[in-house]
Amino acid sequence: MTVAIRATDLVKSYSQGVRALDGVTLEVNRGEVLVVMGPSGSGKSTLIRTFNGLESLDGGALDVLGVRLDATHAERQVREIRKRVGMVFQQFNLFPHLSILDNITLAPIKVQQRAKAAAEQRAMDLLDQMGIREQAHKYPAQLSGGQQQRVAIARALALDPEVMLFDEPTSALDPERVKEVLDAMRQLAKGGMTMVVVTHELGFAREVADRVMFMDRGQVVETSDPETFFSNAREERSRRFLNQMQH
Amino acid sequence: MNRWLDRGITLLLLALLGWAGWSILHWLLVGADWSVVTTNLPLYAVGSFPADQRWRPLLWMAALITLTLLTLTGPKRGWVRRWLPLVWIAMAPLGLWLLAGGLGLLPVGTRSWGGLTLTLLLTGGSGALALPLGILLALGRRSELPVLRWSSAAYIELMRAVPLIAVLFFGQLLIPLFLPPGLEINRVLRAVVAFALFAAAYIAEDVRGGLQAIPPTQREAAAVLGLSPRQVLQLVVLPQALRVALPSLTNQAVGLLQNTSLMAILGLVELLGISRSLLANPAFIGRYLEVYLWLAAVYWLACSAMALLARHLEVQLDPARSAS
Repeated sequence: MTVAIRATDLVKSYSQGVRALDGVTLEVNRGEVLVVMGPSGSGKSTLIRTFNGLESLDGGALDVLGVRLDATHAERQVREIRKRVGMVFQQFNLFPHLSILDNITLAPIKVQQRAKAAAEQRAMDLLDQMGIREQAHKYPAQLSGGQQQRVAIARALALDPEVMLFDEPTSALDPERVKEVLDAMRQLAKGGMTMVVVTHELGFAREVADRVMFMDRGQVVETSDPETFFSNAREERSRRFLNQMQH
Repeated sequence: MNRWLDRGITLLLLALLGWAGWSILHWLLVGADWSVVTTNLPLYAVGSFPADQRWRPLLWMAALITLTLLTLTGPKRGWVRRWLPLVWIAMAPLGLWLLAGGLGLLPVGTRSWGGLTLTLLLTGGSGALALPLGILLALGRRSELPVLRWSSAAYIELMRAVPLIAVLFFGQLLIPLFLPPGLEINRVLRAVVAFALFAAAYIAEDVRGGLQAIPPTQREAAAVLGLSPRQVLQLVVLPQALRVALPSLTNQAVGLLQNTSLMAILGLVELLGISRSLLANPAFIGRYLEVYLWLAAVYWLACSAMALLARHLEVQLDPARSAS
């Protein structure tokens, strides 16, 4: 099994000496789904944002798909990684001035220099896969949150990424819209996509994750298979967190 | 008791209004001598452009009016819609060519340019220069390079601190001193450049406001797709920022059109300038009211057309518009 992401002793500090990441080491294998959980402020979002260079590092090193990132990396390495790693945000972050179709084809046409017709064909296929083909010519503001998030997933997939990062993808959604997004992610996982998912969705983690990683105060508390984590977590802190989540 | 007082006041006011309205109407239709306007229509339109060449500025203005109407009616054909923006951009060089001549047309010196044609050319030309310059200044002011940031800020603050009329005098009188003898820029070009330099500072601040309205998450979302910093700016940030800034930019454009009248003080015979020279003609002595009312109407018409076009553009650019 080959490694997609290897993080060694990552450190990220903020100005007041607070450590958002305090010596995080982990590996994500190709084809694996890693779910990252933890209370707010535990550093889980910061962690996956370092994977594609949205957050810089103060110490440690990352190997993402064979490209090295550390405290001194250049812009070139970051762009190399971004072309191969997709990301989905909590707030969707679609481009409001572009149609759904143009949102999805923007990067394939401008970054990968694909032909417009081919890019649009691919975009329509992805929208089909997400079950929102008929929304292609609307604008983001005309779609529901769940639909917008599925467009965001399609937009990331249009670049044929090798890894997908999800930063709390369902936290900004109405409860009745959560399922449609999780279903799309489930489908993606079944297809063998390498995924790192920051989420509070226990059901999704239990069902889809290959491993669950629990973080607190910038450190990895434990990493287990979901069965062990949810029924028999090793660490007291994990158990307390799970208790709070379930009540 | 009070009710009677109210009624009395109302009646009195109505009577006053009616009397004023009647007097104005009477003056407009009977008292005023509109010959100062009607006999000089060509002068208001094109200034002292040679009579046998007047078709050139007139053709340009006719093209502008046609284009305005065409844009406002919102053509349905896709290819017309695609070409409209390019045709608009082409209007400034087209106007310059039609007025100046050359390339098969009889050359006409800028001394003979005037009237509404010159007003529109000054507005369009300086606007076309000021917008890109203003965008660059706004970006410079937000740059990560301190030198660029400070120099942009210094330029903007300096230009905003100086009255427009001073900048225009500077353009007319001082620029020639800095140029080597023999190299002479004509007066209209100097005016356009001075206007553009001035307006760019204000436009920069409007664009900066637009840039600030775009959340940083938009940059992030674009950057994680692998777009280069230039592409992020050009494809994601600027289109949104300019849309936000559009109402203020419209304001600048209308202001620019009216401010071209300052050029009359510097001897250009644009709309206001030609009117002043007409009033100096003994045949039309004392016809101030007629001339200035006429001027007000023409400026109002031109500004309204610009405001309508801008409003149309806003609707076109609104991503939430239902018809898409």
